[in-house]
Amino acid sequence: MTARPEAGLGAAPRNDKPRRPLRSGIGQATLRMLKLVGERYALIALFIIVCLTFSLLPSTRTTFPTVLNIRQVLSGQSALIIVTIGEIFPLLTGGFDLSIGAVCTLSAVACATAMSRFGLPLGVTILIGLASGVLIGAVNGLLIARAKLNSIMVTLGMSTLLTGLVTWYTQGNDILTGISQTVTNFGTLLWIGIPRPIYLVVIVVVVCWYLLGHTPFGRRVHAIGSNARAAHLVGINIPAHVLTCYVISGSLSGVAGVLTVAANGGAVVTLGEGLLFPALTAVFLGATVITVGRFNVLGAVLGVVFVAASVSGLTLAGASSWVNDIFNGAALIIAVGVSTLVGWRTRR
Amino acid sequence: MIDGRDAGRGGPALQVSGVSVTFGTTRALDDVSIQVQPGSVHALIGGNGSGKSTLIKVLAGVQPADRGGIITLGDRAYPVEAMSPEASHAAGLRFVHQDLGLFNDMTVAENFALYARYPLARGRRISWRALNTLVADVLGRFDIDATPRTLAGDLRPAGRTMVAIARALHDDEAAQRILVLDEPTASLPDHEVELLFDSLRRRARQGQAILFVSHRLREVLSLASRLTILRDGRSIATCDAASTTEQEVIELIAGRAVDKLYSVPASVTGGTPSVIVERLSAGPVSDVSFSVRPGEILGIAGLLGSGRTSLLRALFGDLKTRAGVALVGDRAGPFRSPKQAMAAGVAYVPEDRRGDAAFLDQSVQENLSAAAAARYFRRLWMQQATERRESRRLVDQFMIKTESIASPLDWLSGGNQQKVILARWMQRGPKLLLLDEPTQGVDAVARADIYRLIRRTAANGAAVIIVSSDLEELAHICDRAVVLVRGSLVREVHGDELNPERLYHLIQPAVVGT
Repeated sequence: MTARPEAGLGAAPRNDKPRRPLRSGIGQATLRMLKLVGERYALIALFIIVCLTFSLLPSTRTTFPTVLNIRQVLSGQSALIIVTIGEIFPLLTGGFDLSIGAVCTLSAVACATAMSRFGLPLGVTILIGLASGVLIGAVNGLLIARAKLNSIMVTLGMSTLLTGLVTWYTQGNDILTGISQTVTNFGTLLWIGIPRPIYLVVIVVVVCWYLLGHTPFGRRVHAIGSNARAAHLVGINIPAHVLTCYVISGSLSGVAGVLTVAANGGAVVTLGEGLLFPALTAVFLGATVITVGRFNVLGAVLGVVFVAASVSGLTLAGASSWVNDIFNGAALIIAVGVSTLVGWRTRR
Repeated sequence: MIDGRDAGRGGPALQVSGVSVTFGTTRALDDVSIQVQPGSVHALIGGNGSGKSTLIKVLAGVQPADRGGIITLGDRAYPVEAMSPEASHAAGLRFVHQDLGLFNDMTVAENFALYARYPLARGRRISWRALNTLVADVLGRFDIDATPRTLAGDLRPAGRTMVAIARALHDDEAAQRILVLDEPTASLPDHEVELLFDSLRRRARQGQAILFVSHRLREVLSLASRLTILRDGRSIATCDAASTTEQEVIELIAGRAVDKLYSVPASVTGGTPSVIVERLSAGPVSDVSFSVRPGEILGIAGLLGSGRTSLLRALFGDLKTRAGVALVGDRAGPFRSPKQAMAAGVAYVPEDRRGDAAFLDQSVQENLSAAAAARYFRRLWMQQATERRESRRLVDQFMIKTESIASPLDWLSGGNQQKVILARWMQRGPKLLLLDEPTQGVDAVARADIYRLIRRTAANGAAVIIVSSDLEELAHICDRAVVLVRGSLVREVHGDELNPERLYHLIQPAVVGT
């Protein structure tokens, strides 16, 4: 049997985007694509519903849809968005980085100490904060990529180790004195009506979106997560890529650490603890939108903002701080459930 | 049928009659009948796609069969359409597959208990004493040189197979069950095969009926008393092993005169070799030398475990070589990584598509460009429009049936997935294309397409090396073949000698004692 021309009848439309049916008889394929579209935008729809609800609800109508609240929600989440995006990289390779929160704290403490205790120049202190993140990321990456240790165990150990070291060094006290005014200004003031940290977040988002979506590096990272053995057999240097991913997540945790120094006017030693869990929630929530079933940058940002907006609304409506845990926990389970279901369906 | 009722207890231990399995319009099994006498080893043989494994699956109750067939065990008859794994087990059929299902880091007793169940003592705790006594007794009955506390991984290969057999038959005091062995010798060295056969013969003398599936013909003839040959889903013949020669069986399996099977491909004679392998040793492969010219298709014939896959992996830089040289074009190997091999123009389509080649949750497009992603990275951006256009072109050119290039690869049929993997590599215009079982699990139409694509790649100047356990396929598509037996290249075959029967002879390792 040779060169059969692609028959018109019964042949499904070969297309990369879902499109309206051209003729009857291709309904099933179109239906499947439509379902995908529905799933793709479910979180966005939910987000809009949440915003509308709190904007119309009598108890939050005056407080929720205000510039002040939006600013507060966004700038309050800057550090979280950055560590969340960092977490995407190890997750894509099929691993976990559970040390992002601890690295964030380490970086904040290193930066603040260099500033207040040693009085080093501003640029150097920032570099010290970033370098501590790069360093821990590299250690994690080497242990996972070269020594082939389990990523959960390595980063969990690293997280506990760093938390211990930081507590030992700081005696559990926050470092809030002697912080440069330039730094705190960056963390608290606005540029053209927008909190300054947001600009940094946008830069990180754009760079990572570009790296993962529009470079061969991003392709290879996705391939490793999909099937490591097959990735090796299409010539991908797996250890190098896995190492890079952990260095990126460590570095972004370092960036977030320095940012928290700016936002809080110093290093708050308990701050990092609360970052890991919401970051995972947001990444998994994000995997249910844009490119369904895949961890992606824009989805993760939406995940953070969605949780933050919901928690803000609920808090304004009178709920207390426990709502944060409840909402994050429930959202993580639902997000993992949905992305797993999507995965199963794709596999059928 | 030439079956006699010569066995002591009257009727056959297992009788399969009129079993058919239909997939759509094709018949995988067509009115198949087999009789296995008590106390005998009955061999089931046939080529690739002859229906052997489908029949085993029907017996095991995992493959539904068409209505009408009957499976009789002793004096009880079961309609074939009512078979299920539970019904098959209850009827007394016991299976040991090529993958024995033993856990190497657990003891023999634990392996038994996982299969049957743990005997419980008071308070629902495991009674290790009862378990060990029971297992020791079974090991004794089967003459297995092991204790219940031996780790399964510490047993010799034949011993592991025997433990799996003993486990399957542990509750069979009176040899009432039927033992089905599916390719049990595929990964055993020769002397281990003899050990296994000795104990199987002993079991048979004690009255055990054994249905034995294998494609190692010499082994089958030395073990079985009767054979049934399947071809194209039909039971072609049943004969006594004692009065049948290997040659006759091979002809029954092939079913046709060889020289009429396929037209002989135009052989390449001119030109200097572009691929030269000198004294290469890697894994089980030792001291192998051969060369391939541009445009030539070289087949590698050999049994499972002969080193055929290791040879391809070594050429692709995926398996460390101990010694030797591999030259591809002007690049000297052996290559240390797939990346290096790819840079020299080597492409490799592995045997295990799902495990080693497919990105099942990724799109057809991503799978197509997986080995060429950097090509679309221009002006610091993945040129997705170009990539999509190229992907659509490949989908057309390779006749891949898919709803869209955005569909996950998993939505495609096996044959179309295979074409995607082939397209991934062939688009690179390789100098050396390595194919391991390229048509495994692929239907007849896609198979013909794939042959054509391979020929075209060769015509474009690639040297092609194909590993296949389907000897007809090798004879059909290759210009020349080399035969691997236990890691050594024993012979080169071309011209008239390149036919399935001859290859079948050559790939068999000599059986000790025959």
